[in-house]
Parts: sequence; structure tokens; C-alpha cells
Amino acid sequence: MQESVIKYKLGIDVGGTFTDFFLVGNDASSLVHKTLSTPEDSSIGFITGINEIAEKLNMPPETFIEKIDTIVHGTTVATNAMLTMKGAKTALLTTKGFRDALEMRRGVREERYNNHYLNVKPLVPRYLRFCVDERIDAQGNSLQSIDFAELDEIIHKIQSENVEAVAICLMNSYLNNEHEKQIAHYFREALPNLFICASFEVLPSIRFYERVSTTCINAYIGVVIDRYLQSLVSKLNNINFNGKLMIMQSNGGIVTPEVARKIAAVTVLSGPAAAPIAGAYYAQMLGFEHCITMDMGGTSFDASLVVNGKCITSTEGEIDRHRIALPTLDIITIGAGGGSIGWIDKGGLLKMGPQSAGSLPGPISYMRGGTQPACTDADLILGYLDANFFAGGKYLLNKEKTLDITENRLGKTLNLTAQQAAAGMYRVINMNMAQGVRQVSVERGYDPREFLLICAGGAGAIHAGEICRELEIPMFMVPAVASIFCAAGMLLGDLKHDYVRSYLSNYSNINRKQFLKLFDDMKKEAEKTLSDEGIEKSKIEYYPSLDLRYIGQFHEVPMEVEMEQILGFKLDDIKEAFHKEHNRKYGYELKAEGTQLEMINVRLRAVGVTEKPDSLSSSKSTNTNLLQSAFKGMREAYVPEVDEMQLLPVYDGDILGEGILIKGPAIIEQINTTIFLSSTYHCETITGGSFIVYNKMLMPEGYNKKSLTRKTSNNV
Amino acid sequence: MSKIKIDTILLSIFQRAFKSITDEMSISLMKTTRSPILCEAKDFVTGLYDASGNMLEQTENLPILSFSLGPVCKVILKQYENEIYPGDVIIHNDVFSMGNQNNDVAIFKPIFVEEKLMGWSAAKGHQADIGGAVQGGYNPNATEVWQEALRIPAIKIYEKGILRKDVWNLIFANIRLSMVPEDIKAQIGACSLGERRLINFINKYGIDSFEAHKKELFNSTERMMRAEITSVPNGIYEGSSKVYYDGKHLGSVFEIKSRITVNDEDIIFDFSKSSPQTNGFVNGTYTSSCSAITLTFLQMVNPNIPHNEGMIKPLTYIVPEGIILNASYPKATTFGNHLCPQIADSIFKALGPAMPHRVTAGWNHLLCSLFTGNHPLKGEKYVDICFMGLKGGSGALQGDDGYDHIGMIDASGGLLDQDYEMYEQQTPHRIIKHEYIKDSGGAGTWRGGLGVETILKIGSDDTTMVVFGDGDVEENYGLFGGKGSILNSIELLFPDGKTLKPLSKDLIENIPANTIYRQIAGGGGGFGLPQNRNIDSIADDLRNEIVSKEKAMSDYKIAFSQNTNSIELIKTAELRAASLENK
Repeated sequence: MQESVIKYKLGIDVGGTFTDFFLVGNDASSLVHKTLSTPEDSSIGFITGINEIAEKLNMPPETFIEKIDTIVHGTTVATNAMLTMKGAKTALLTTKGFRDALEMRRGVREERYNNHYLNVKPLVPRYLRFCVDERIDAQGNSLQSIDFAELDEIIHKIQSENVEAVAICLMNSYLNNEHEKQIAHYFREALPNLFICASFEVLPSIRFYERVSTTCINAYIGVVIDRYLQSLVSKLNNINFNGKLMIMQSNGGIVTPEVARKIAAVTVLSGPAAAPIAGAYYAQMLGFEHCITMDMGGTSFDASLVVNGKCITSTEGEIDRHRIALPTLDIITIGAGGGSIGWIDKGGLLKMGPQSAGSLPGPISYMRGGTQPACTDADLILGYLDANFFAGGKYLLNKEKTLDITENRLGKTLNLTAQQAAAGMYRVINMNMAQGVRQVSVERGYDPREFLLICAGGAGAIHAGEICRELEIPMFMVPAVASIFCAAGMLLGDLKHDYVRSYLSNYSNINRKQFLKLFDDMKKEAEKTLSDEGIEKSKIEYYPSLDLRYIGQFHEVPMEVEMEQILGFKLDDIKEAFHKEHNRKYGYELKAEGTQLEMINVRLRAVGVTEKPDSLSSSKSTNTNLLQSAFKGMREAYVPEVDEMQLLPVYDGDILGEGILIKGPAIIEQINTTIFLSSTYHCETITGGSFIVYNKMLMPEGYNKKSLTRKTSNNV
Repeated sequence: MSKIKIDTILLSIFQRAFKSITDEMSISLMKTTRSPILCEAKDFVTGLYDASGNMLEQTENLPILSFSLGPVCKVILKQYENEIYPGDVIIHNDVFSMGNQNNDVAIFKPIFVEEKLMGWSAAKGHQADIGGAVQGGYNPNATEVWQEALRIPAIKIYEKGILRKDVWNLIFANIRLSMVPEDIKAQIGACSLGERRLINFINKYGIDSFEAHKKELFNSTERMMRAEITSVPNGIYEGSSKVYYDGKHLGSVFEIKSRITVNDEDIIFDFSKSSPQTNGFVNGTYTSSCSAITLTFLQMVNPNIPHNEGMIKPLTYIVPEGIILNASYPKATTFGNHLCPQIADSIFKALGPAMPHRVTAGWNHLLCSLFTGNHPLKGEKYVDICFMGLKGGSGALQGDDGYDHIGMIDASGGLLDQDYEMYEQQTPHRIIKHEYIKDSGGAGTWRGGLGVETILKIGSDDTTMVVFGDGDVEENYGLFGGKGSILNSIELLFPDGKTLKPLSKDLIENIPANTIYRQIAGGGGGFGLPQNRNIDSIADDLRNEIVSKEKAMSDYKIAFSQNTNSIELIKTAELRAASLENK
């Protein structure tokens, strides 16, 4: 293939500490890159990384930019704004009499028996929640129209409080959005610099609390996302990027920045959303139906579940107890990562995190001003990391200073040496992360021992062995792209757009023409949007569904159906399937008594299938089939089973070929990933540059897929 | 049976798996039921029990309903002995055989593995109607159970998988609303779901492993609970609280007296010195009262103890028949669940001096309306408990403010407001206002939770309203110098300009459309002296308009610069010091 026709796809995942890149060419080449994140404006690290990759490829940046046809970008900007309560100063306009719905959260206290459990702090404080004397009734009629003089007063107050964003959510606007439209219009004219969103633009469906909460989240993070994407797009324009920029959504699909800027709430879990997608890919490749992914970043640790090859999505999600009713992947995030700081609590116990040194000042060993021992520092002291080979030698770590400060800050109080304190930090953070894996599996009633655990993050495989030992998980996999797992998963994302139309009707009275027209409308809208996004008609897949229920019920069952059934108007088939689905999900059906059905909504998910890279393997320079040729030397490292430092062999993982057995205890170093095999484990290399690590006591015969899937098959 | 080695990981998987099954049953019920009392407010519980009726796990949306399922399961086992078959479904509501309230109807389904009874799945929900003299079940005029409800002692509605049409028809011929049998079907569905899941689970790990780990789970939970009890100093503690008006005799007052004995790792709750039973419907049942005791004590211990038989084993209850907390046959008892706030008060007051860091000040007591009538647009009958109106604030405790708008302690935040838009679809009424009330949280170093004001416009003629509750006579209490909160009240403003203040137990009929209904649910009591409250917290409360300037001056001893809203710190400190000296 000629150089001139090479086209690249680039996945970019901005984390709290590192920004990860995964580049795939249409010539099957690939490249992994990492650079430090720039939290003050993460678009800086984004552009720095692109330039660094160009340098690696020996190309002038402008030539490289020209060859990129797609960038898929996942960002934690919105997530962090929510978790640290650093979103925009937001005001809410709502119907008179309903000032407190957002804060009341329908009066729930999640922990029934814990009187110290406090309500969550509302995204909009009470003094910024303004009431408008207007009303739409339960049939959609306007009972009281907007008084613009009243709006002027509110605008005045909003100005004097330096508010940055305004959410508008009125009673019954799902039936008639005229009042919301009027207010949004009036506010946009009067306050052109503010981020303004109305509930009908975000979530036009019944249930006031869900809508007000989702709309406020959208406004709260909208300013932050808008500012960020604007800066990013202008920086990309400056370097003459002409390809497509796509943003990862919380539902695992991708969207254009234009949509993400308007409906910012779809990016709440943009960062980690690609992990289960990549997990599903690897599980399928290895022939597993289920897997757990764990991704240890610099700041956070994410765990998610893939069951029957599918990532789990729900519209019943929340973030930090704020209700968000948009489809979201089910991912558990805890504050544990390479930057997690070790500290001593009031009771004298050693704790790790959730505070993180981040990328600035970073761990002590980075020499960027960090003065508190972090997990990476402990990994260095314990010999898992090589001070001269961190990120392949890109960053030199200072071991002396790390030892010194760790001893002073932790060792002296605990009456331990620096190395003993580091071993303590290592054990504590492993327990914390094991709890995250437990939360996503055991607490949902699944046995993690029956799942393939896929371990991601550059340092993930230093800790995975101990996490698995804690949970008795017999094996884990370290993919070739472990260090930039989400960035790789992003290239597997498709464009996803969800459409909905309300059609409230007794099921037996559905009008064929009207029904088909609704689907036709949604299909046309999807075709238009996707063609604007550069997707050909032949690359669009449609997934229709109907929201159905038995007449008299309150909640609907979303029924996934086939496009053929819709076009052929095969309502009887769908009805049959509904009875079965109701029984499967809820334990009974009302078919025998002939209970009538009712339809509420028709939905269409349009998926624009993107071109995927052929594989997610990393390209290796040299392959060797001899373990000895990959031997780099011996290094002292901490072996947890015996609680002491031992001299261990270190191998260069980047040049190992397929089918090689490495016996623990040992260290396998790659430029971006380190695998620590304690004395419990052996490791085998498999196709595509990935590693399987297994417990030699639990799997004495060697790595064996069957021993893991035995129990799983009958009961997930 | 071979000796099974206890696997500690498996032990926690068992506990979580049981929990996730009862959670799934709970979601199933919420998604399939029709009465808003169930599908919106979640006035139901689900649970799993072993073959002897011991609790494996429960999902306690409403704790007061929860702790009567296990006892009923034991009644069923005794009644049917060897006549329990796969495919059986048993229904029960009878308060004289361990039911807690007539409207709370339970469904039980036996679970068999390899033809052996391994356990039970159960679901109990508050039904929109249960027969008796008054639609909805709350009859303030009742003196006997038959004026309240249809009694359903344990009876099979399915045997070996076959519906007993005769029994089904007899039951539902005595119940007003057609949604009730549909909601019972939903409860049966949830139980079938629990049955399927538990069968799969036991098949996966084997019967022996299930039995061994279950036993160890009970033991380890019991050890946890006993360790918690040990942290209470040994001694005998006494407390009391009052119940006002039995619905029959104006001005009547009753007393709930607790005597709690703590002896190392055992605790005895003795309520036998409480007032005798009443001649109205203000009477508890044995299980509603024991549930109230249990849920109150659970709020004083580690909230992470798993909920199974081991948790309740160390607790001893003395609630003899014939007292207001355990009415004898055939007394009326529908109000019994709502004696929980008074039971909680008497326990908190008793243990407060010994465990000041574990008790809360008084919670808002329930005062509630139940509306029934016709939905003119739908042409259907409806029943709705006005949950959003009844939820007041909880009492403050050492270190934290009370929880705003949480509702009665019987539910502790498990019972939800109806969604406003759903409410306006489901009933003919329009919501005019539902907001926090300024100054409703009892003043204290830690402020009581806020109460709410609810205003509705009645949307159809001939609306019937049943009022039941309390909290309109005695202000709920503050603790350690904290102040109480405002009283509950309900008021109707008729279209002709007349007003009516119902009694705390009342039945009002023929309410015309366009009547304005206004309800105040008070807040919780404060904890500690108000003048010790952190000034930043008061400033926040002022800015958010939940504490008034007047209250800030009078209760919290805040000094403002003249004619402004800015706080004078030095002057405030002086005022506060002086007020503490005067104490």
C-alpha cells in the first residue's frame, strides 16, 4: 500500500492523570501512546499527544493530521465536574409551587436505617431555583400563560448572581412544550452568553422528577462541555484537521460534537464507556460469553460487566445520586489509581485515596512537586516499576526521594521502613479495588470466579494478581492494548441515535398507516442525521422497539422487535412475544385471560456502523519464541505471599511471541504495561500480543478456558 | 450429608445473591402493579425464607411491613404441614394470625428443589381496597375487624399449579376495585420470579452447600448483632410517648411505655405497661408493633448488618395481648402500623441518656389523607393515599441535621412521593403546591428536617376523604436543648367559601370539585442548643429561605447589622454567650 493512501483512526481517552492514544492505520499498523493530562484545559494534552505521535512516526505534524480521517474522543470532563461539584453555577426555572422537586428527590433516603445518611446536595441550590406563575394541565392545555414581566425580574436576579447556566423545566411540558419554548427563547435573547436548556430538548417524556434532574445535570455540565469542545474544535481547526471528530457517549455510542454540546448529559460517562465495549470484543475473541473489565487509571478504577456478549445499559442510572434518565452503561467507579495518595486516618490506620495526586503535582517520583506518597511511588519502591524504564524511559522516576518522603510521611508514624509502608499501601489499595470488582459482580449476584477478568491500565497488571487472589479469581487477561484500553475501545464504537414518538393507543386499535408513518418519519430523520455524519445508507442498522404494557399497568416493557415485523405490521407476533417477555421478566403473563395491551411509545435506534480496525493487537517490532532472548536482568521486588523482597527475573514483554510460558515470580515489562507475576501465578502469551495470567494452584494443568466456564453456562 | 467446608467468598455471594433476588422481585412488583400506592409509592416488601420460615433476605421498601412475613410463613407451615406442594400459592392478610395490617396482603410461594421444600418467596403489598365498610380500608368508625376488611387467614389460591377459581372468586367478590386482583397477580408473578432464581441458585451450588452456608450466614449475622448490643451499656431504660384520639372519644389519650433491659449481648423490649387496647381502630397488632421495635433499633446499630434471621434472633419482644400495641380478637386495628412513630419515640427517649450519639430527636408523626372517587375523564374509580403530603422531616441527631421531607419513621425514606405528572394522570386532582416550609425544622445545634406544605385542587365531585394520623396535638420533641417543630394539620376550603378542619381520624364524604385541600406536614425536632449552631449553616439556611430572619434572631441568637441581612459576628458571639449563661 502506498504511503499516500494511508488513513488513520485515532482513539483518544483523556483521563485524570494520562491522556491515552490508540492509532490504527488502514495498513493494519497500530501505535500506542500516552501523555500527561492537562486538567486546566485537557485539549492541550490532546494536541500535544498528536504532535508527539507525528514525531514517533517521523512525519511532520501537518502531514500526519491530513492522514487522520476519524478521531473518537472520550472525556472525563463531565464526570469530574459532577463528582467534584465543579459544574457551572446553575439556575432553575420551574412552575410555581414546585420549587423543591429537584432537592426532594421524591423524598427518598437510600439507606433506610442510617440516620447519618444525608440528602445529596442539589446541583441548583434553593436560592437559585425560581418559580414562574404558569401552568399546563394534565391534558396539555395552558391554564395560565407566561408573564414576561416576571421573567424580567428573574433575569435580573440571575444576572446579579453571576449564574452561568439556566435549566428550564415546567409541569406537564411533555404534553405541551409551548411555555418552555417561550421562556427558552426569551432567555436566549436576554442572556446570550449563558448556557440555556429546556427539558423538552433533553428528555421530552413524562415524569417530572426524572426530567427536572436530567435537565439540571445537562445545564450544570453543559457549560463545561461546551467550553471544552469549543476550545478543542478550534485547536483542531488551527492544525488543519479535516477529518471527523466524534465524542463517546455514556450509552457506548458516539456522536458529533454539535450534539454533545447541546445535550451534554450524554457525556456523563464518556470516559469509561468504551471499556465494556473493548471487553466484549476480547471476550468474544477468546470465546467467552461474559467478562468483567477492570481499568486502573491514574485517578480512578472502573469496573464493568459484560453478560452474554452485551454491555449492560439502563435508563435508571444516577451519578453521585443525581438521577439521569438517559440510556447509560452500568459502570462502577471508585477513587483508586496510580495517583491515589497514602495517608493515615484519625484511628492510625493506613488509607489509600480517594484523593489523587493526579498528573500535577503527581506522585513524588515524577519530580513535579508531589510531596505525598502515591500508589505509583509504592510500586516503584516495591521494585515493580523500573525508575529508568517508566513509559519506556519517557519519564525518569526518582527513587531516592520517593523512599525518603515515604519514610518521613508514613513510615515514621506507623513505625515502619519506607519499603514496609509501601507494601502496606500496595495491600490496602488492592483491597479497595477488589471491592470495586466485588460491587460489579457479587453485589449483582454474579460469581466473579466464573468470569474472564480483563485487566486494563498500565499498572493494572501489577495489582490484578492480588485482586484476583482476594476474590479467588483463577485467571485474568492482560490485552495488548491494556495501557490504553478505552482509547482502543472507542474505535469500536458505532454512531448511535435514539428516536422516540408517542403513540398512545389500545393495541388492537393501532392504525396501520399512522404506525408505519411514525417509523418512516424516524427513519428519515435518522438517515438525514447519519448522512450528515458521513454514513452511507447501506451502513445503517435499525433497531425498532415498542413500549407496551397491559391495560391498567403503570410502567411499560420496552420490546425489541425486528424491522420486518414493523414493516409487515405483524402485531400479533409482537403481542405473543410480549406475553413471553412479561413472563420472563416479571414471573407471569395475562395471555390466558385475554388482557388487552396498550402501546405508549414507538422507538427507533439507528446505528451508523463505522469502519472498525481489523484487530486491536499492537504491532510488535521483533518477535522471539525464546523466553531467554527476552530476559532483561534480575531485579529485587516485593513478593506478597512471603512478605519480603526477592530477586526476580525481568522479561521484555514487547518482543515475546505467541505460546510462551513464563513462570512466576517474575516481572514482564512492556513500554506501557507492567505485569507482576507473584509466586501464585504463571503466564502464557497468546495471539495478538496479549497475556493470560493464571493461578497455578487453581489451574495446575495450565490455562484452561473450560475450568472457568463450567458453572457459568447454566446460570447467568 | 457430607461435611461442607465454609467458603468465605461464597458466604458473601450467598448473602448478595439473596439480596439481588429480593431486589429483582421488588423491581418486578413496581413495574407490573396498577395501584399507585404500589407502583409509585412502593408500599410493599419482598422476601425469601428458608423451609422453616427463617428470613434469608428482604427488600424493605417499607420496613413496618417487613418483619411480619417470617412469622406468617411459620403460621402457614404449621397450618399446612405435609400438604405443601410445588405450584402452591398462598394468600394471607389476617391480623389475628401474624398479619400486620388488613390492607397489607401477602402472597407466599413454596420453593422446591429435587422434590424437597427448600424455602419460600413472598411479596406483601398495601392493596387499594380490602373490602370492609369503607373503600380503601381505613375506617375510623370501626370497632371490629369485619367493619374494616375481609379477613383472609392463610388459604391456597393455587394448588399444585392450578388456580382455585372458587376461592379466587370468593375473595374478589368481597373487594371493590378490579385492580386489586390484578395487583395480586403481580405479587404472584414476583414470587414466581423469586422461586425461579432461588431454584437456579440452589441447583448451581447444591443443596448441602446451600444449607451449610445459610446456617453460617445466620450465625455470623447473629454475632454481628450481638456485638452491637454489647456496645449498649447494661441497664434498664424506660421511656414513654402519647397517642391522641382513638377516632371514637374526643380528647382520649393513650400511653406507649417502653422498658428496655440490656444484659451483655441480649436486649429485651417490654411494652407491657402501655395503655390497654382502645375501642376504636387505633390498635396495634403483634407483628406491626414488633416491626416498629425492630426498625427503630436497627437505626441505632451498624446499618450494614445483613437482614436475615440471625439479625432478629438476639431481640426479645414483650408485647402482651390486650394492650394498645396488641389488640385482642376481634378488635379493629387498621391504624396499628401508624403507632410506629410513638413506639420509636418511647425507645429513643429511653435509650437517649445512655446512647446520646445514637438517638434522634422526634420525627414528624404521620397525618395522612386517602382520597377515593371517580376519575371523570377516565370514567374509573381510583384510590390514592396522598403520600407527597404526609412526608414531614426527621429528627436531628448528634453531628447531623434531620432529613427533610423523609416521612414517617415506619418507612424511613422508603416510601416515595408520587411523581407529580403521574399523579395528575392517575387522579383528577391538580397539584398547586408542594414545597418545603420555612422554619419547620426544629431549631438546634443540628436542625430538624423540614416539613412540607401541599395544596391540591380537588378535580371531581363526590370525592371521599379518609383522614388518619396524629401529630396535631403535641409538638414533636427536641433533644438536649433542641426545639420541637410545627404541628401537622389538614384544611379544606370549599368552593362556597366554607372551611373544614378534619379530626386526626375522620371520614369526609361528598367533597365537591374545586375544593382546595391544604396540608401541613411538620418537621423533625432539633438536637442540642440552637445557639451553638454553626453560623455558616444558618447563613445558608437564611439564603435558601428555609429559616426566617426572625427565627435566626429568636432561636439561634443571631445579630444582624441594622436593617440588613448581614450577620454581625461579634455581636452574635456576645448574644450567644449571654444566652448560654442565663441557662
